[in-house]
Amino acid sequence: MNDAQSPEVPARFLRLPSIAERKLGADFTAPVRLDPRVLDQMQETIRELTAKYSENLKAQVGSLFSFVEPTGAGEPDARNQLYSMAHEIRGLAGTFGYPTVGRFAHSLCAYLENYKPVVSTVLRFHVEAMYDALQQGGGDEILASETLASLDRLIALTHDGERSAG
Amino acid sequence: MTDRELFAKLKILIVDDSAEMRSVLAALCESMGVGAILSASSGEQGLKLFCAEAPDLIITDGSMRPMDGYELTRSVRSGECREDGTESCDRDVPVLMISGHVGPEMVRLARDNGVTDYIGKPITAAVLYERILAAVSKPIHIVETKAYRGPSPTRRLVPRISDTFSE
Repeated sequence: MNDAQSPEVPARFLRLPSIAERKLGADFTAPVRLDPRVLDQMQETIRELTAKYSENLKAQVGSLFSFVEPTGAGEPDARNQLYSMAHEIRGLAGTFGYPTVGRFAHSLCAYLENYKPVVSTVLRFHVEAMYDALQQGGGDEILASETLASLDRLIALTHDGERSAG
Repeated sequence: MTDRELFAKLKILIVDDSAEMRSVLAALCESMGVGAILSASSGEQGLKLFCAEAPDLIITDGSMRPMDGYELTRSVRSGECREDGTESCDRDVPVLMISGHVGPEMVRLARDNGVTDYIGKPITAAVLYERILAAVSKPIHIVETKAYRGPSPTRRLVPRISDTFSE
């Protein structure tokens, strides 16, 4: 428990004007719904960026394969590179219409965060799942869920209950 | 007053170590009509820009090295910029954290460090728009004790996750 939660510590509670009130005056009233024109413009921006992102994603997933064996062999630089790329894919793939690729990247990141050492087979299966989902134009959500469940079972079998990287 | 007129008056600081993510967030903010967009590739650079530019809102990644988004938020809330002589910096500035880690431990860590709102990756246009609008249009409630100043560390902070993805 930190100080703000402790009943013994005196606390002050402040209500400050919103950023909008400071910019536009005290009579500002918060909108009750999102402006569809702004949302359309944002979605148009995502559509414009998607073609370029798709090419980048293919290149990124292709290059992940080269880090699988060195990471499994315990090379820290390869592990960092693999994690960094998977982290990027996790962050953006879903935004650009590749949610299943993002889910596999998320699973790969979680595996690298939670286990040390890691096993090449588990890494390769993750990367292959991402590659296959891309080849299928984004992949199928139900199939992805089944594949992720299989990957979880594989991790459990491979590591036999250990969880060592913290 | 339209949302666009409000956004045109905003200065937003984006902090993310991924150039691709910074670029996407900046493009989305630009399409919202945000008046000024600043970008930083690390927590340290973000803190320097915060002190120098006094943005109205910070959007930060969680995991960065060496200074992550949690430490950046803590530094902003500490008010250390004012000690450097930048009076215009607002230590109570809304901070939106965007992170791939949506488990309770990381969300609690964000809350305890003074993060205003927590968005799970991947982001969508609707979630980003909604959370930015909420952050700048709602009154800011602050708790201040000897050792902490920021949004209430006892509140329930729920990560906003797009419906295309969940942990």
